[in-house]
Amino acid sequence: MAVLEKEISFAERQPREENFGWKGAMAKWFSGYGTAFFLMTLMALSAAVSLWVLAGQSLRLDEAQSIWQISRTPSQIFYIVAEDVHVPLYHLLLHFWAMTFGESVVAVRLFSLLFYLLSIPAIYMLGNKAYGERVAAYAAILTSFSPFLLWYGNEARMYSLLLFLVILNQYFFLKLWKKEERPSWLAYGLTAILGIFTHYFFALVLMTQAIFYFVRRDLFDKKALTKFVLTAVVLMIAFAPWVFYVYKRGAVSNTQPQLQLPTTVNLFNTFSEFMFGFQVDAINSIILALWPLAVLLAFFSLRRNYRISEETRYFAVSVAIPIATAFVVSYLFRPFYVSRYLVVAIPGLFLMLSWLFSSYRERMSAAIKGSLVVAMMLMFAIQTVSAQTPVKENYGEAVGFLNTNVTARDIVIASAPFTIYPIEYYYRGEANIETLPLWNRYETGPIPAFNEGDLPAEVNTLKDGHQKAYLILSYDQGYEQKIRDYFGSHFQRLESRSFSKDLTVEVYKLR
Amino acid sequence: MKNERRNILDRRRIAFFRDPILLKKSLLLATAVIALIYFYSMAFRMTRGNSVLFGLLIAGEIFHVWMALTYIHTMWSSKSESKFNRYFHPAVDVYITVAGEPIDIVEETVTAAKRMDYPNFNVYILNDGYVAGKQNWREPEILAERLGVSCITRTRPGGAKAGNINHAMLLTRSPYIAVFDADHVPARDFLKKTVGYFSDERMAIVQTPQYYKNRDLNPVTSASWGQQELFFGPICHGKSPINSAFMCGTNMVVRKQALLDAGGMSEHNIAEDFLTSLFMHEKGWKSIYVPEVLAEGLAPEDLLSYYKQQFRWARGGLEVVFKYNPLFRRGLTWKQRIEYLSSATYHLSGIIVLLNALFPVIFFFTGLVPLQISTMLLATVFLPYIFLMVYILQRSANFSYTFEALAFSMGSFPIHIRALWAVLSGEKSSFSITSKKKIHGNFIGLVIPHILYIVLVAVGFGVAINRNGLNVSVWNNLAWALFNIAAMTPFILAAVPAGAKKEAPRPALNLESYSLEQVPVIDKSNAAGYALKKDEESI
Repeated sequence: MAVLEKEISFAERQPREENFGWKGAMAKWFSGYGTAFFLMTLMALSAAVSLWVLAGQSLRLDEAQSIWQISRTPSQIFYIVAEDVHVPLYHLLLHFWAMTFGESVVAVRLFSLLFYLLSIPAIYMLGNKAYGERVAAYAAILTSFSPFLLWYGNEARMYSLLLFLVILNQYFFLKLWKKEERPSWLAYGLTAILGIFTHYFFALVLMTQAIFYFVRRDLFDKKALTKFVLTAVVLMIAFAPWVFYVYKRGAVSNTQPQLQLPTTVNLFNTFSEFMFGFQVDAINSIILALWPLAVLLAFFSLRRNYRISEETRYFAVSVAIPIATAFVVSYLFRPFYVSRYLVVAIPGLFLMLSWLFSSYRERMSAAIKGSLVVAMMLMFAIQTVSAQTPVKENYGEAVGFLNTNVTARDIVIASAPFTIYPIEYYYRGEANIETLPLWNRYETGPIPAFNEGDLPAEVNTLKDGHQKAYLILSYDQGYEQKIRDYFGSHFQRLESRSFSKDLTVEVYKLR
Repeated sequence: MKNERRNILDRRRIAFFRDPILLKKSLLLATAVIALIYFYSMAFRMTRGNSVLFGLLIAGEIFHVWMALTYIHTMWSSKSESKFNRYFHPAVDVYITVAGEPIDIVEETVTAAKRMDYPNFNVYILNDGYVAGKQNWREPEILAERLGVSCITRTRPGGAKAGNINHAMLLTRSPYIAVFDADHVPARDFLKKTVGYFSDERMAIVQTPQYYKNRDLNPVTSASWGQQELFFGPICHGKSPINSAFMCGTNMVVRKQALLDAGGMSEHNIAEDFLTSLFMHEKGWKSIYVPEVLAEGLAPEDLLSYYKQQFRWARGGLEVVFKYNPLFRRGLTWKQRIEYLSSATYHLSGIIVLLNALFPVIFFFTGLVPLQISTMLLATVFLPYIFLMVYILQRSANFSYTFEALAFSMGSFPIHIRALWAVLSGEKSSFSITSKKKIHGNFIGLVIPHILYIVLVAVGFGVAINRNGLNVSVWNNLAWALFNIAAMTPFILAAVPAGAKKEAPRPALNLESYSLEQVPVIDKSNAAGYALKKDEESI
């Protein structure tokens, strides 16, 4: 009688025990030098793609802010970063990196690339601990081919560092519940502290772990509660001065640009972006419209005795809780739903998908895994080639246009005001650069709010003594059209050029 | 040795929730809430499209939510309070119902029945081969003589299997009856594990699982077992504590007094066991389900046999809905009414599957939709509902439910629709025994509706592109259509002869001794309510 097969966890079903025939030989080779070779190959591929395709792209607003911020002294960095509603670890590290390697776009991006590349073996380690080699290997492939991660692996921001620290932290958390003791607690605590100083959203990872621990205490060592509490206390002691500093500065309310309230479309866009990067609306809509196939993919995994392991449940909540929390809190408190902040959910998502596809029958598994990688590569190509890719900010070319056209008698006007950072980075022209609304960056306080009544006076101030105005419009904060209309009705428009999605330069004759 | 013993016991346990009660009930409650939110959002919060399609969609969703909520209702209760007295050993008559099955299969069952470890029982072969017009009708008599058991051969037809049992009841004396189909081989401890429940004087039915030992033989047997495992796992498990477990025709023990009280096995319904159980519950008798495999049988090995088995069950269940609706039966508790109705209405799922499958096709050809909303809004309410529901299904079945089982359930929509039509039109159907041997052949005829659907999708997609271009609605409807096609594919493949070749070796468990003789030719002139060959072919 064989009614109910002995329950075998999925990890136990991995082919690591196959030690016969060519499959066995492959498995043996793979678990030795093969793994290192495989991971090095993935890292080399990602590095090559990054350096070949992405390094040459224009500096973006956030990156320009980073470069501007790290060019200050450490104490000034604290000050500016607090106002920018971030935490300072990345900026401090980049500050010292730039002291050695310079502040060029490529140099600062290499810092991000380093952590992105390290994330590939890191997710392999995490996947291997949770499931075994096969799942781990595919998760590493997804990480390596992800258009989203390739993008942020090449952006001078903290997201690849955040990703790397989340993976490490998850790895040590997993070691804790598998009762691999002392070094794990230290490493877990350290990655938690580094993580929380890299991005506030790291707190969502810790919150997820706390919830998971609360629900599944039985998986952990009996003394784990004391150690978790101790870790939390150390974390709070380490982080409290920063919270106090931010509170004293009252900096939380100054964040720019303002974010919109998320909708259900944003929610699904997050997953679409995680898998297929940033696509123009036409392509993105098709991706989202195919969501019923996600149900089918879940149904394919229904196989006898292929149980959902605790690791999978943990990864599922590590995806769901941060995303749901960011969504709900955006409605309850203030909008801060941004897919790149939610990079903390990607390791869990990739590992879950990798587990899901590995639970299929062999042929179907290979077909779906292969198809997904091909689709990701295709989407990466489109993301790279298309000028209308939403996240592209071609300030390089836009300012290049200014550099060849403006004269000392003209004026360059940037709106929204904070876009002055990337413009300044590339700008070599003779005309002055101002912002609308008018803003002095060197004065304490937030960027002045737009006031339609003040617009004529501000424009009059700017136009005095100038022949042409080069109006660079990007990052619409809700008043871009009003500025455009005002200039259109008061001055003669000589030229209008678009350089990337929502980045235009309009030239007006002032007199 | 100890481990080996434990493994054997483990293997005999039928899958069910293994969660603490609080966690189980929390999950069930969350699923019920999400299901209601989903339905409320769709019915009342979303912009309606074509009103006829909207009405059909809502009708389908009412059915889905009804199935979801009744499944949760079934899962909700925890432990049965039935007492088991291991020293209660009354006399039992063991009936092995035979109607022309290959004699080697019958022999295995009779031999195993004889070997049962119980102090006081008699084995009877209830031979309906003669009245069913089977050529080998004498073989059971010869076998009975050789094995030293009794054989009761009916000579007056009527009532099919129910009639056979009723007839035997008049000729045997024990107060308890154990019933096995010809291919269901009882374990040695079958009676010891079941009869003790009758120490409760109101206990009428003790049902055990109907396990298929050939489950790994091919996709049909595997999917059949997948469906059975869900039924004999969480569903029967859940029905038992609320006194709603019903007879499943075999591997059961019944109190003769209760059966007589219900008027004997009902001969008016093609699923006699289901209806008779309802009658017994109406009279206040109790039932219990023992979730341990104590007998092994055979699943249908080919699509035609599967089709006939499912048709019989569907027709029987739907007859209960339309002729003996449990909601209006006196004597049943409300929990029993819900359980009976939910089991019977399951067979309406075919028409709902077809409806849902047709929505994309209707859109392709006409541009009409039931809802005019952002597809993401629908996804927001649908995905949590469906994922949680499938998770609960898997968790309750202890991760034994398979995609193939789901696909066969969905792919069975023509069977259910045909059964519904048969019930509504009053079409006559005979009791058709599931073939114990594989019927070889090409069963493409059984999947014409599925193939037609694929053709309609392909043509409709072209029409839609021509009308709308490749817009979001076209892609979304294509995704739904592909979902349906993927779910139908295992069923279609089972109809193709090439698909049937992919068979695992037969299980070693005594199956090698099966004879290779063909399905017996049936004499049409002498049938007793059993399906004639013509009927079989017509299905």
